[in-house]
Amino acid sequence: MKWKKPMAAVGTLALLSAAACGGSDSSSDTDEGDQTTVGEAGLAQDPNVEPPAAPIEGAQSGGTVTVLSAAGLNTMMPPEAYYTNTGSILTSLVTRELTQYRYNADIGGMELVPDLATDLGQHNEDFTEWTFTIRDGVRYEDGTEVTAEDFGTAIDMSMDRKQFPDGAEYSNEYFLNGQTYKGRYTDPQGSCDCYEIDGNTITIKMERPFPSMNYWGSFPAMSPIPADKSEDPDEYALHPLSTGPYMFDQYEPETSLTLVKNPEWDPNTDPARHQYVDQWDMKLLEDSSALDQVIIEDQGDAQTTLTYDNLLLPDYQKAQAQAPERVVAGPDPCQFYVFPDVRKITDPKVREAMAWGYPYKDAWLAGGEIVGVTRSPETQIVPKGVTGRVTPPYDVYGNGGQETDPDKAQELLKEAGKLGMELKFLYASDDPPSVDVKDVLVRAWKEAGFTPKPVATTVAEFSTLRADPNTDINYRTGGWCLDWPVWDSWLPPLFQTDQYANYSYFSNKQVDQQLRQLQSEPPAQAAEDAQDVEKEIMEKYKPVIPVGKGGVAMMHGSRINGMEVDSVYGLLTWKDVWISQ
Amino acid sequence: MTLPPTAADEALRHADEVSAAPEAVKIHGRSPMQIAFERLRHDWVAVISSVIVLFFIVIALFAPLIANAFGVEEGIVENPSDVLELDTGYGLEGPPNHGFTWDHPLGVAPSTGKDNLAEWLFGARTSLEVAFVSAIGATSLGIVFGLLAGFSRGWLDRIISFFLDLFLSFPFILGALSLAPILINRFGSDAAKLDQAQFYSLILILVFFSWMYLARLIRGEVLSLREREFIQAARVIGVPTRRILFKELLPNMIAPIVVSFSLGLPAFVAAEAGLAFLGIGLTERPSWGQTILDAIPHFEVYPLFLWAPVIGIMVLVVALNLLGDSLRDAFDPKTRR
Repeated sequence: MKWKKPMAAVGTLALLSAAACGGSDSSSDTDEGDQTTVGEAGLAQDPNVEPPAAPIEGAQSGGTVTVLSAAGLNTMMPPEAYYTNTGSILTSLVTRELTQYRYNADIGGMELVPDLATDLGQHNEDFTEWTFTIRDGVRYEDGTEVTAEDFGTAIDMSMDRKQFPDGAEYSNEYFLNGQTYKGRYTDPQGSCDCYEIDGNTITIKMERPFPSMNYWGSFPAMSPIPADKSEDPDEYALHPLSTGPYMFDQYEPETSLTLVKNPEWDPNTDPARHQYVDQWDMKLLEDSSALDQVIIEDQGDAQTTLTYDNLLLPDYQKAQAQAPERVVAGPDPCQFYVFPDVRKITDPKVREAMAWGYPYKDAWLAGGEIVGVTRSPETQIVPKGVTGRVTPPYDVYGNGGQETDPDKAQELLKEAGKLGMELKFLYASDDPPSVDVKDVLVRAWKEAGFTPKPVATTVAEFSTLRADPNTDINYRTGGWCLDWPVWDSWLPPLFQTDQYANYSYFSNKQVDQQLRQLQSEPPAQAAEDAQDVEKEIMEKYKPVIPVGKGGVAMMHGSRINGMEVDSVYGLLTWKDVWISQ
Repeated sequence: MTLPPTAADEALRHADEVSAAPEAVKIHGRSPMQIAFERLRHDWVAVISSVIVLFFIVIALFAPLIANAFGVEEGIVENPSDVLELDTGYGLEGPPNHGFTWDHPLGVAPSTGKDNLAEWLFGARTSLEVAFVSAIGATSLGIVFGLLAGFSRGWLDRIISFFLDLFLSFPFILGALSLAPILINRFGSDAAKLDQAQFYSLILILVFFSWMYLARLIRGEVLSLREREFIQAARVIGVPTRRILFKELLPNMIAPIVVSFSLGLPAFVAAEAGLAFLGIGLTERPSWGQTILDAIPHFEVYPLFLWAPVIGIMVLVVALNLLGDSLRDAFDPKTRR
């Protein structure tokens, strides 16, 4: 999944170059993250949850919640909404999908439950066919009934890469004819022949096994869209028809969004959403420092204001001192890596030296991360709480994901005969934290026996250059956020040849084969085997260096209740928020 | 018949007359410069502000020595994790969470652990370096083009005037904004080269967008002076144009030049800091503008971090401005007392 907004992502990712993870010295900080291990990233599933959603104890109705954020809303068009903020707001408040997540206080995390489908989907043995039965009596905000055909329209739209280049590509990747059918707007005459509709059931056919279809079903791309009202995609993007508890009232792309109650939403069809709040006022592109102050001071309307941005480091200190109970911190679904370009840094020993030379804590501080909260150490690829995480934990470099030892790095370099090897990396010279991180890295690489060559670029150019395999650099830094809490949201994108997040340009036929094989196994078996595959890749090839996992530190006003961390999106549990009157 | 008096006779007669005035008050000619400096000496605002400016110049010249004396160094010299508290990102010693320490008299920067005093000293150096070089550049360009435009009639004047107006109408910030990414992408692969490129291009931008003011002033002056008798006379006896320009015209324009130079300095100091604050100035060396940008979010907890560069810029700019004003008054022939 992508970050909140392109700009922010660039900046943050640039930092990552350094911002790795550091470990916090006080183990208590890291333990905080561990408390929520079970549901941390939506591990649990419950297909039997029945509507309506259980009322929250003591919850009161009414009031307007103001939401402030520095990031803009890129696009709210369901098939294209693939940033964490747009996706989270749409799926929680506005559009309903086949499946959805809900916060389960008992497990302290998210679980997958049915939404418009009556269960989490029925699949055939090899996961090439999924059948969802659509609930009766669900209506759009204009009163028309939701039908199974509307899901077909949504699938056709989700495959249109030309119209929606920024959308998630899972439909193209897994659905039948996904690579050949061009999508609803680009090829209006064509059809993917990848679904069959029978009354109120829709059966989706796959090109190859797709065991995680029920998770893909929770994406805004899988929300129903009436064909006759979405002829013009640009117009529909300004007002996607709501099936959820709130609908668009005022919407200025990027800058503001007001949501009001949707009178057609029936709680008796929805197993997880609530409608306690009367109205949501989202004001975006605000100044980070200023919005932090507003919420910390908690005066007047600020009491019903919240932000899903991370608090700035100085503000986090202040908030912790003044109102720790209003800070909502927890794990987010992102992990950060140094990706040595294995085409240029061919010796695994050199990559090991990089792991020992990388200035974890320093880079992290320089990037402005809150140590132990928004960044903490990690040694594995598949993160905590995700099905298929290697247990017991392993540490292929042996540094705990946070220890820097320049002497050891030098030794390893000497052994490899590469002392003084050049390391070329990107940074954004118009982004001060990125420059600070660069300075820290230059120092650390020098100490570790490398010859650092930072390559300056601009925030605007950063992601393009990093994504270009021909850019003249030999390692990249970046993060990957989960799309769903299963190993197949991590290992293939990172390690398969030519995949989106494979910045190491690692390509190994045997590994590709193994990963393909895993995806056709039954989920339980695959989750077991994936652990061995991950360990083997890391021990044998060392294609990436984990430099930390992310975390969130959000804050809300004193009258806001029910705000927890949604560890799948790394945002908040919108569905449960209420205001004390 | 008498011969008309020759020049020699005339001179003799003058000599007679002078000596004839017995013990007259000694009149010594004073150049405009001398008059101006005499006035400046009695202007306490000018004296104080020049002392302040001198103080900053000394800091800029001897920044490394002064930093050494305090035992601090510029840039990231220690691992940030060794000098900063991991949970707050502020220094293990010094403000805001600990008392004053001589190791870091102004504390260390959060996140990076850079010493604030050293950054401030070297920031002063950057500031003055940019300001002086740009002011000299802008003044020289202004003089040359002003003289040329004013003295040459016809097409050359029209061409220069056209460029004058063109540069005057071109939005400066826009130029700087668009140039920054071009430079970064062109020189990005080599940090040292990028630093040089940024430094010189910053100066070039500042020069290119400020020579017009002086040029216009000088052109106007020249237009009025060139019709005066002493220029006519010089032309008649065949003095080469270059000589007329630099020996006859230029000395008459010392006043506007000195004033424009001295008022240009504070403008350049402010511009350098402003561009650095916007992230389009110098990024590879310390600069007050950058420190201000870094310090703003920390103001509430750690105000000293922001005050140091802000006070530096403010005092320097005010001092330079006051000095410039005093110079203008001193050189102004209409304020003869």
